[in-house]
Amino acid sequence: MPKEGRPLSGFGLFLLGSLALGCSVLAQQRPSFPLTHFKLRNGLQVILSEDFSLPLVSVAVAYDVGSVYEVSGKTGLAYLMENLMFSGSANVSPRAHINYINRAGGQFNAAASEDMTLFYQTVPSNQLALVLWLESDRMKSLELSEAEFEKARNDHLDDLRQRKMADPYLESSLSFDQLLYSDFAYSHPLLGTEDDVRNLTLDDVKSFYSTYYVPNNAVLCITGNFNKLKATELVARYFETIPAGKTVSPSLEPWIYTKKQVLKSFENVLASAPAFHLGFRIGSPSSNDFYVLSIIDYILLRGQSSRLTRRLMNRNNKIAYQLSGGIEKKKDRAVYKIFGVVNTPMMADQCLEAIFSELDRLKTAFLSEDELARYKNMFKQDYLGRFSSSMEKAIFLCESYLTIRNFDDLPLELDRYLNVTKNDIVGIINRYFTADNSIVLNIKTK
Amino acid sequence: MKKIWVSLGIWAVFSGTALFSQQEKFRKSAPPSEPLQELKLPPIESAPLSNKLNISFVLRDNVPFMSLEIVIFAGEALSPDKIPGTATFVAGMLGRGTQSRTAADIEGIVESIGGTFSVSTNQDYVLVSFHFFPEYLDQVLDLISQMLLQPNFTKSEIDYVKFATTYDLLGRERNLEFVANRHLFRLLFKNHPYEKFAFSSDVIKNWNLNALLDFFDRYYRPNNAHLIITGNLNLNTVTRKVSHYLNTWQPRELPPMPLQTVKPPDKDRLCLIDVPQAKDCVIYFGTAFPSPGTQDRFALMVLNQVLGGTPTSRLFMNLRESKAFAYNALSEIDFFNAGGVFCAQARVTPEFIAPSIREIQKEIKALTTSPISSQEIEQAKSYLIYHFPVKIERLDAFSEKVADIKARSGGDECWNKYYEQVMLVNGERVFGAAQKYLLQPFIVVVAGDKSVLSERLLELDSFDVFDSKGQFQYLVNKDKKGAAHEAR
Repeated sequence: MPKEGRPLSGFGLFLLGSLALGCSVLAQQRPSFPLTHFKLRNGLQVILSEDFSLPLVSVAVAYDVGSVYEVSGKTGLAYLMENLMFSGSANVSPRAHINYINRAGGQFNAAASEDMTLFYQTVPSNQLALVLWLESDRMKSLELSEAEFEKARNDHLDDLRQRKMADPYLESSLSFDQLLYSDFAYSHPLLGTEDDVRNLTLDDVKSFYSTYYVPNNAVLCITGNFNKLKATELVARYFETIPAGKTVSPSLEPWIYTKKQVLKSFENVLASAPAFHLGFRIGSPSSNDFYVLSIIDYILLRGQSSRLTRRLMNRNNKIAYQLSGGIEKKKDRAVYKIFGVVNTPMMADQCLEAIFSELDRLKTAFLSEDELARYKNMFKQDYLGRFSSSMEKAIFLCESYLTIRNFDDLPLELDRYLNVTKNDIVGIINRYFTADNSIVLNIKTK
Repeated sequence: MKKIWVSLGIWAVFSGTALFSQQEKFRKSAPPSEPLQELKLPPIESAPLSNKLNISFVLRDNVPFMSLEIVIFAGEALSPDKIPGTATFVAGMLGRGTQSRTAADIEGIVESIGGTFSVSTNQDYVLVSFHFFPEYLDQVLDLISQMLLQPNFTKSEIDYVKFATTYDLLGRERNLEFVANRHLFRLLFKNHPYEKFAFSSDVIKNWNLNALLDFFDRYYRPNNAHLIITGNLNLNTVTRKVSHYLNTWQPRELPPMPLQTVKPPDKDRLCLIDVPQAKDCVIYFGTAFPSPGTQDRFALMVLNQVLGGTPTSRLFMNLRESKAFAYNALSEIDFFNAGGVFCAQARVTPEFIAPSIREIQKEIKALTTSPISSQEIEQAKSYLIYHFPVKIERLDAFSEKVADIKARSGGDECWNKYYEQVMLVNGERVFGAAQKYLLQPFIVVVAGDKSVLSERLLELDSFDVFDSKGQFQYLVNKDKKGAAHEAR
């Protein structure tokens, strides 16, 4: 049975209406749902959140592992492992996991990132035991055969080739990452390199699985329509006898960098139009700066009315034909990336000039109350949008558990973003969005 | 004494092992399902305004957002015959400015209230959707009122919408599935008003201000619309607020809008859309039929589920898992106001095009010749029942479902009696539906590289070749010696 059980203070719905807190029309709504979390004896973290609106239940299992844990010469393991998790376990034949979920009318998916690997599914609430059985079986006893491994590796290599063909700017993006992140762990591609993937062995995969796919390196979250007591019993039944693995100690070096402008160019034979990558190293996701940086992301690039979108993509004076970017966070570090496609190399220079001029404006002039309220509302919409379904909520809770400093503070998180002030923004823009902290990679076509 | 300890030790080892294996027995097989929980959906409450605008409200508490949908019964079927796409054009202009606000202002307002705004058009209706925080309902209604009552269709915005739609369509025309599906739709609805829904980018140049104004004035009327609000409120408040903003929206006598019944194709036909250098190819295999009654509708849904509703259905298991011909294979059924379409589709490698088409034909024929096992029927029904709440869980999907029910005159059988209706389906009804709807002619559209596919398709039959825009090029047939001939 669970070692400790502690209900988290509920996410009581707390509506303040229009506030006089420096934002004219911003209502500070918190998501409202019950939340309990506890740890099993084997170290598996369990999060439960009930919602009786519909007869559905979602289960997400997040493993605290991603490509940043890969070593040189063995890249692509985390992504390959995600696919191999469907290749069968002691009591579930290959791909039967998918069939079970389909037959139950459910939906499922999985995702590997740099710092996390997630498996999630939604099923009718009478099928909770089925999903826990499936997830526990692959956590306890994944069966990795040579044939399944070969198949997954070939699919992975196909995927790598297809992505390369589909995205003419992929290679320059990878080069840009090497400029932004100085160390191997963070700068190598999530899918790995073709050579590395081709040389991976079944033993590599088995070792990766036995090291990281252990209960003490995972979070299990159940959301939706279920009985808490019964769910706790089921979790204990299926997961408690899975042995803990060795303690996974992150071997990641702290990020120490000196501010220095980097300007490079990249000759891209695949791309038909010139482009540019611009990046800034910014505050760690666990720092207080990150709340401000998240709002700055909306000010700069989110939505049609964001500053850079209006400036560079203005219908009457368009200087970029494609503009994207935002915060990229990986474990303890984060960067801000901007990518633009232009018609001529001269327009890339114009874009960079325009971006720095917008940043200068933000450094010297406060945003109006209305403008700040607009960006915060957009942020709030996206934040609360992550509770739109039981599956999204389960994913959000797993991610939050693995990323925020203190999970018990989760109910306060949204307010921390919404309490960002105009002064905070000026301060953070001045701290991180400077020319001497910028990294530019100009992409030239042949 | 020592012997006793040894015996006890042996007993302990064995009993421990026995206990352990007993503990883990539950892992050997999937746990049995518990009884299915009843799905209780909130009722769809409705009330008309004095200007004949119908309002529906559905309570959805425990969500931080609210949804507002407006159905305008002015889909592509009503576009002027000479200007297909007019319905899409007019709908696209809705957010592009009012007498007091520019398009950029509108985008800014929507973003400032943490909302989203979208417009989509289908054969039967236009759906205008807003999702937003509940405290901004008044602002949203005010904006809608301006869009509908004081629109401003400027030349620059017209040019912008025409450009954006062209660009969007040109992008989609690179997608094999889109090209094949659109062509199938054109052939199935040849000379039916629904054909206009499958317009290509060439017609956009004909869109003009006069057609826009005429269409808007004629069809964008409260007596030709239905407004649906979903969220944590009540019908009285909703009606009062909507009335405040939209009661001056003037009704107008609507022109006659006869619904021409959809007919099945008159003969089987094989077509190839040439997409040079395409590495894969796609197959769309479809037939059309008049609107079925409730019984047939649910039987067809089960039938579709058996054939290709999920990756555990017959098509996927055969074409992908067993034969390894296809990347995917599925089937779909769509119901419109004037009829429906049953369509099987697959993406395959060119070398397997002929056997894939034969297998799809075989699978469809099998449904009409031998009854489906009761186990398969029950599995399909379970899926439809179990998956229903998954589909409508998100607020936007939930409110769009309600809008679709209202737009297509669906009743409670599509809502609170959905489970009941699915449960009523049995093997006999499914077999009856298969014989009624699947024995009629089918049109097969293949999209891919002609130079790779031509010979392989000739193994099956003669076929018509079209370019990627859908223009007929020539007919390919075989003479008695098996040589290919092209007839223009």
